[in-house]
Amino acid sequence: MSARQTTAGLPPAFSELAPGVSGARVRPDQLVAITNELATTHPARLADLFASEPRHGAELTLRAVYALDDAARYAIVECPTSGDEFPALSDLDPAAFVEECEIYEQFAVRPANDKPLNRVLIPPHADATFPRLGHRPRPELESLHARHVVEGEAFEFPFGPVRAAGWESLYMGLVTTGEEVLDLYLFHWHKHRGIERRLVGLKPERALFFAERMDGLNAVGNGLAFCRAIETAAGARVAAAAAHTRSIALEMERIYNHAAAVAATCQTTGLSVGQARAEIVLEELLRLNAAAFGHRYLFDVLAPGGVRRVGDADAIRKQLPRACGEFRRVTEALLRTNSHVDRLEATGMLTHEQAQRLGLVGPVARAAGCPIDSRADHPFAPYDQLELSPPVRESGDVLARMEVMLAEVAASEQLVLEQLADAGPGQIDVQPRSAAALGWAESPRGEALTWVSFDSRGAIERARLRPASVRNWRAFDDAARAENVFTDIPIIEASFWLTVAGFAR
Amino acid sequence: MAFWFFRGLGKGIVTTRYPKAIDPWTSALPTPPAFHSDRLTIALVDRLIEVCPSRALAREHNELIFDVGACSACERCVQEGAGAVEHSGVFELASTRREHLLKRVHIGRGSA
Repeated sequence: MSARQTTAGLPPAFSELAPGVSGARVRPDQLVAITNELATTHPARLADLFASEPRHGAELTLRAVYALDDAARYAIVECPTSGDEFPALSDLDPAAFVEECEIYEQFAVRPANDKPLNRVLIPPHADATFPRLGHRPRPELESLHARHVVEGEAFEFPFGPVRAAGWESLYMGLVTTGEEVLDLYLFHWHKHRGIERRLVGLKPERALFFAERMDGLNAVGNGLAFCRAIETAAGARVAAAAAHTRSIALEMERIYNHAAAVAATCQTTGLSVGQARAEIVLEELLRLNAAAFGHRYLFDVLAPGGVRRVGDADAIRKQLPRACGEFRRVTEALLRTNSHVDRLEATGMLTHEQAQRLGLVGPVARAAGCPIDSRADHPFAPYDQLELSPPVRESGDVLARMEVMLAEVAASEQLVLEQLADAGPGQIDVQPRSAAALGWAESPRGEALTWVSFDSRGAIERARLRPASVRNWRAFDDAARAENVFTDIPIIEASFWLTVAGFAR
Repeated sequence: MAFWFFRGLGKGIVTTRYPKAIDPWTSALPTPPAFHSDRLTIALVDRLIEVCPSRALAREHNELIFDVGACSACERCVQEGAGAVEHSGVFELASTRREHLLKRVHIGRGSA
């Protein structure tokens, strides 16, 4: 980590790494202290925690990424570790637990506490040859895996991993006495594809292909975070017209995803006619994506250094207001349908405190009163020139999440239309070498982060991909336990509208 | 609930004639490439193989092996081989046999 200058307002150990990003390198015995110090200077939100091991037998490096949303800054704390343990940040910050489990699975080092860990990505049938990021012998997961004990009158109702058509593979262990959900745990690992490991050794252009497809419904959001990390590492600045094109694609991705979430919510409440109307709008939006950008799910719009495709402004100008207008009419009708709204109110509730404690992002956090949106809090071109006011609701239930999404569709439509005249092509050559950087973007599901390091040949040494789903799935069991019954679980899942692929990647 | 019924009547039937007829909007779909055999050189084919992220292309001597089943229609080869490679426009790719998805294209201009 190369220091450029001291960052004002942060502990002295921090220096400026890139615009909006500061970093500090500390010893393991200093990690907890500097984390506490950081928390006292700013309301720091743990955005990510990951490890890297560049070479066989090399020292492991731990990186904690904190979002200082009030200071428009990310702070990366870097800590070399040796031995079999690393300082347990989850003792201070529960939001670190999932990542600590992931580090254990990938690198065979565990947090220095006695807490049992969860299985998150590596499937139970994995043997010693199963691809992992680390080089140490395979960890003994079973001995440390937290056991799920179901006692008394409760029993476990297994649901998944094969579920209704169109839903991703996910196992839910629903613990119940009959109707009320007492506990719930999830197995995401059926969709683990080892993408972070697959990216090692690739050049940026080829790696972007995988980063976009890791979580297909967030191709632009995750891809943009990835591209921005590459460009920051190379010290490159994307042309203004290309930045507008990227933003248009990102907002169109947000619109179609939120429309899909509304359709899924109707499906789960049994309102088939509302589902059909919402899916008609969704299909119109996907066809508009294809007409404007050449792909229904907006793949291959981005390129390191700019864009590969430019949107068809005429098609967007003509069709987007029509589709969004119909979406508004459908959702107004939905909100007048009592049988639908009754299922959304006070269902799957998350409190403001839970959202903060777990470091949630996106519409799930905003519906629980957390006004975080990386477009507004950590702005980059063109969002630094656009007027943004992220919608926030306080009740934290399914209805609040739906209301946030509806408001975001309207806002995104305006953002798209007002940028059409400024959007255009542009791609500059970016060749990062012996450098590393953080990239971020506000995907439809919330803040997406990427950290990438390159070797002297310009190949990827380590790419950390942290889609929004990685952060928000950890709140799903809290929301599901909040005095809900069996049939509420699919409704809550639709309102979270996360991807299993994004979590398991 | 009655307004849903009347809204449905007002909108009429929304469906597709496919597969009886191809919907016009499908022309916007990305499709696998088509190769002009007489414009391919070994050097160009090797460059196409290099840019293909899904490893759908390979070369055996003087033949380009195109695995349509692995192609994601990302269009990188169309950009790289402009003039010799273009969009096929074909999106109906289903086949009952895997080997039907493997296409062999003669490299017409050899090492020219």
